[in-house]
Formats: sequence, structure tokens, C-alpha cells
Amino acid sequence: MQDPHKPDLDDSLNVTQSHERLLRDAAAVAREKRVNDGGREPVSNWIFVTGGVVAIAAGLALGQAGGLFDYDATVAPGYVRRSLDSGEDSGPPPVDALKAYMAKGEKIYSKCVGCHGPDGKGGGAYPSLAGSEWAMGPTERFSMVILNGLTGPTSTGKEFGVMPAQGVGMSPTDLAAVMTYVRNSFGNEKGEVVTQEMAAHAIEISEKRAQVGTPVNKGELDSDHLQDLEGAALDPTTKVDPVSLAPVEE
Amino acid sequence: MASLENDQDTILRSSIDRSLRHPVMFFFTSGAAWLAVAILLGIVSSAKVHSPDFLSHCPWLTYGRVFAAHESALVYGWGCQAAFGMIIWLMARLSRQACRNAGIILTAGHLWNLVISLGVIGILAGGGSGMPWMEMPTFTWFPMLLIYIAIVIGSMVQFKLRPSGHTYVSQWYLMAALIWFPWFFASSNLLVRGFDGSPLGATGVNAWFHSAMLLMLFAPVGIGMAYYLVPKVLGRPVYNYSLSLIGFWALAIIAPWAGLQKLAGVPVPNFLPYLGAFATILFAIPAAVAGINLLKTAVGDLDTVNKSPTLRFTVWGLVFLMVFAFASVMLNLPSVLKLTQFTISGYGYDVLGIYGFFSFIAFGAIYFIVPRVTRREWLSRRLITSHFFLSLYAVGGIAVITLFGGLMQGVGAENLTAAWEDAASRVQPYAVFTTVAWCFLLVSNLFFFLHLTLMWLRLGRRSSHPTLLTHEHATSPHGPEGDIDNAGPAVH
Repeated sequence: MQDPHKPDLDDSLNVTQSHERLLRDAAAVAREKRVNDGGREPVSNWIFVTGGVVAIAAGLALGQAGGLFDYDATVAPGYVRRSLDSGEDSGPPPVDALKAYMAKGEKIYSKCVGCHGPDGKGGGAYPSLAGSEWAMGPTERFSMVILNGLTGPTSTGKEFGVMPAQGVGMSPTDLAAVMTYVRNSFGNEKGEVVTQEMAAHAIEISEKRAQVGTPVNKGELDSDHLQDLEGAALDPTTKVDPVSLAPVEE
Repeated sequence: MASLENDQDTILRSSIDRSLRHPVMFFFTSGAAWLAVAILLGIVSSAKVHSPDFLSHCPWLTYGRVFAAHESALVYGWGCQAAFGMIIWLMARLSRQACRNAGIILTAGHLWNLVISLGVIGILAGGGSGMPWMEMPTFTWFPMLLIYIAIVIGSMVQFKLRPSGHTYVSQWYLMAALIWFPWFFASSNLLVRGFDGSPLGATGVNAWFHSAMLLMLFAPVGIGMAYYLVPKVLGRPVYNYSLSLIGFWALAIIAPWAGLQKLAGVPVPNFLPYLGAFATILFAIPAAVAGINLLKTAVGDLDTVNKSPTLRFTVWGLVFLMVFAFASVMLNLPSVLKLTQFTISGYGYDVLGIYGFFSFIAFGAIYFIVPRVTRREWLSRRLITSHFFLSLYAVGGIAVITLFGGLMQGVGAENLTAAWEDAASRVQPYAVFTTVAWCFLLVSNLFFFLHLTLMWLRLGRRSSHPTLLTHEHATSPHGPEGDIDNAGPAVH
């Protein structure tokens, strides 16, 4: 009976020698250590304690989750600031008045872009605001045009179509911002702020006009509105809140 | 008779190694080449964080593209290929089955490299998807899935045909990774690219995918490999084998839930991000169990750990695994999550996982496997120590600096009254350090790549003595002439 473990012998082969060579050729494999058993060393209590601490930390995170599998609650607590706290963390930082009015005015001017263009130059069927005498001149006259619209000739004497009234739903803040913006953009450099107080007066005056609801014309502007709006001037470098435009005490 | 059985066992194991020589060496060397590419792209993208004008004239090298290409090359070029090499070798060894489809695996490996090359070029050309770790253009994912199946199907068959009896814990980990990867890869890509769903949903799936690559592919393969290497090289049983099984099942239960913490504060159902944070924190348990179990095994014989290139890398990979576990807890606590969500700490966490933990164990595995499949010993002790120390300090530095820098950035970003720019500029010094560290990694990887290529060309030492990291030639049991070719003529 042949031993199945023994190699098939061949006269020309020195079995022992070639076997040794084979093992030497695979020396790295031959010297490998054999480990047939898993260890059973005692597990330190510290591992369980650490696992417990990790589990508690994980539980804290899960505690924030609210109802599990609640697909309606989509706002994580602590991620939305409902109101700005007092103290250091008191909302957006104050900025210069002129800058704040301009930023707000630029947004409101988006309603005007359709006709007067992003560069304020108008063009074609629409008059230009850049360098316009009425835009740059007395503030009451300018405010009446915005609030009520305009018919007839403009400051250059040229006639365009009728400008529709923009005053509906416009707050004093909006009016002040857009006036300040126009008077300081497109090459206009008035350097002054039309304040909320002035704009509030403009809205009052507009409501007391003889023909409320009709566009103003050159005649009415020259006779009734050729003056600056009442109200204290605001230093353009005063710090104001960028949202409410109210001056901030520092 | 015992000696005869022992010899036959050696012959079986060496024949398994022989059968896998070409695919394993292909995956390791092309992976190392991709690692060099990834590091180069990493240097460029990191430099752009602190010097935005660096190479900015060329649209191919803008930050968004270079960073995405860097991550894709690192994850799919190096990480996946190192994982493939480890999986096919270890599964064959533990299942005691020689590889019967080396040609298919080798072909599939070439195709994988082709697809990744096209994908990375696609990203640089502007075709990236914009989703982290799924950046490569849409045409890549389905071929990648098919190639993956071609590579690992043999390993699954080997597991099925293994001799009955004991299944070692490494096999559990490998089988889990083998099954999990196609599951999350296919489902994520289908949900994000296949179906026309909500973009918000796609963001969530992407966050889950990103986490799954780390926790459900690289973590199990790295831990599984470490469970093989540490006891094997030391010749000591695992400290507590039952603990290793607990660690495995904990990972299997926890890991699939992680990932959505990235979406905290996003208008998705509120429980999802916190469930993700919960699972990612809990991931620390299986990670620490594996780390402690193997480090406890290793501390019994620190002398061997210090001398063996394999163990030095593997044990430090396990130390990084412990740090990774700690970072998983710290970064996902609800109070910290707020701070770190949009900062460089997420990148630090990824680097820690893929380069600190996974790659170190992969390097350890490569130093173990390559001499066996090539039947040559590593050429140079100095190349190995240079690779080790440069990698250790650079990766450790990147991890610590980005995690801490991210925290600082987050504190800055939370300050409402300060400009966003202040928060961004806080990152500057950390970004400069990261660039320098990537440069060190480039040098270290060039040493490694050179060494590995020489081994691939069968230019390694023909010797029966392993290359150990020791200066004590005189006291070596092999005598002072350890480098001499004493194996005699080859027998095939």
C-alpha cells in the first residue's frame, strides 16, 4: 500500500534535496508561524466602561433627533436663530448709512430696471436717470415722480410715454432707499442720504395732492414741489442697522 | 509525520501565493502609482486653499476639479485596489484555495485602471458630478460594479469551498465587505444617477455613500487584514477571540446607519442627521474593540513589532484606528457637529480613515504579502524606514492639524458679528501645514513605489532571511551576512 502523502519517486531526482530547495525557495512561506487557536484572555472592565461612555455620547446625539421616523419635523433645534440675542451676538453688524441705504435701494431698483435699465441710462423709449436734473435736484420733486408717475415732458424737455405710479405699497424706508440709490448711482454722486423721515413726508405730501392718483406733470412739479423734503439730514457715515436702517448707538 | 504535514502545508500555502502572484502584484503596484497621483493632486488642491492664485490660470487645475480628482484617485485608484489585493490574497489563504481565475482578475484589474483613469480625466475636464466620492462621471459606475464582481467572485467561491470547520474572524470581515460594497455602491449610484429624484434626497444618499465607503469597505477590510497580520507575524493568538466576533457584529449592525450627520440643519426629516451622528459615534465601539484587541495582542512582543516592517505599519494603523474612533465620537457630538460641519475637519477625518488607518494596514499587508508572492525579500531596510517615518509624521500631522483647524474654523464661522472671511482666514496656517505634509507623503510614497516596483520586477533579494528593521547585524540569528543569496538555484 502506497503512502498517499509520499511523492511519486523518480530515480533521477534526489527527493530530499529538491524538497529542501522547494521549501527554501518559498522561505517566507516556510518560516510563517502557525496560530491555530483564538485567545481567551480576560477582557478589561475599562473596555466596557469606555463602550458605555461612547454609548452615552451616542445617546445624546440621538436625543436631538426628536421622534424617530417622524418625516414631518424637518428643522433641527438649534439650527435656526428665531431672534437675535442681546449682547455680543446682536444681529448683523452696523454699517455706514449711505452703504446700507444703497444696498437696500439697489434691491428696490430692480422694479425700475425694466425701463430705466441696469445702468440707469434708459434708452429708446425711456429717459435716463444718469445725470438727470430731476433725480439730482430738490428731493420733493423727485419723490413725487416716483410715487405718482409722470406724464408730459421730462427735465430734458423731451416727451416719453407715461411713467406709471410706483407709490402703491411703498414704505418710507423703501422710498428713502431707492431715492438714495438713484442719486448715488450711474455716475450720480450726490453723497447724501434721503432719510426715512424725509420719505415719510413725501408720502404725506403725495396723498394731499389736488389730483391724487394721476401722474404729475412738469407744471405741477415746478409750481408745488420745487423744494427739498423736510427732515434732519443724516451724516452718510452714521452707523445704521442694515435691516431696519435705524441709526445704531455705539 | 508532523514534519511531512508541515511541509505539505507550506507547499499548499506557497502554491496559493504563486497562483495569485500577478493579480496581487498588479493591484499593489498600480495602487501605489495611483497613490502618487492622488498625493500630487492633493498637494495642488491643498496649496490652492492658502494660495488661491496657484495654477489658477488653467481651467483643468481649478480647485473644484483638482480636489475632486485627488479624492477619487485616493479612494478608487489606491484604496480600492489595495483592498482588492488584500481581499483576494487573504481570502485564498484563509480558505486554503488556490486562485483559479487569475487571468480574469488581472484583466479586470486593467479595466478598473482604465475606468478610473477615464473618470479622473473626466473630472479634470469638468465632467465631475459635484458629489464627494461619487465625483467621477456617470459612465463609470456601472463598469466599476461589473469589474468589481469579476475581481471578487473568485474569493466568494473560495469562501464557499473552504475546508469545513473553523471560520476565522478575518473571513467574516472580508465577506461583509464583499457583500456590502456592491450593495451600497449600486444602490447609491442608482438612486443618485439612475432615478430622477429630489436633489436633496441625492445629497443624503451621497452622504451615506461617503460614510459607507469608509465604514463598510475600508474599515472591514483593514480590520480583517489586521486580525490576520498581527497574530500571524507574532505567532500569538488574538488576545480575546470572542471580543473580535463581538466587534464584527457590532460593526455590521452599526455601520449601515451612519453618514447622514453631514445633513444636520438641512431640511430633511430631523431624525435622519442625528441618527447618522448616533451611528457614527457608536462606530467607535467596534473600531476600538478591534484596536484594543489587536494592540493587546501586540504589546506582548513589542520587540518583534519594532523589527517587522509589517507589524510596524499594522500596529500604527491600529493606533490610527483608535484615533479615528475617537474622532468619530468627538466630531459627531451634537454641540461639535454644528461647528465642524462645513470645515476642513471632515477632510481630516477622511484622511485619518483612509490614509492613517486603512493605508497603514495596507502597507503592512504589502510588506507581508509581496515577499511571499514574489519569493524575494525586500531590498532595503532604509527604504522601508523612510517610508514609515515620513508617512507616520505626515499623516499624523494632517489628521491632528485638520481636525483641530476645522474646530477653530467652526468657532470662527459661528461668530455672527464677524465677517465670513475671518473664519476662512483662520484656516490659512493649517492649510499651509497640510500642503507641507502632503509633500512629505509624496517623498515617502516615491520610496515605497520604487521599492515595490523593484520587487514586482523580481529584483528583490534572493534570501531565506526576512528584511527586518534592525541595526544589529552582528547579533542577528542569521549572522552578519544576512543579505547573501543563500537559497541556491531555483527549483520550479
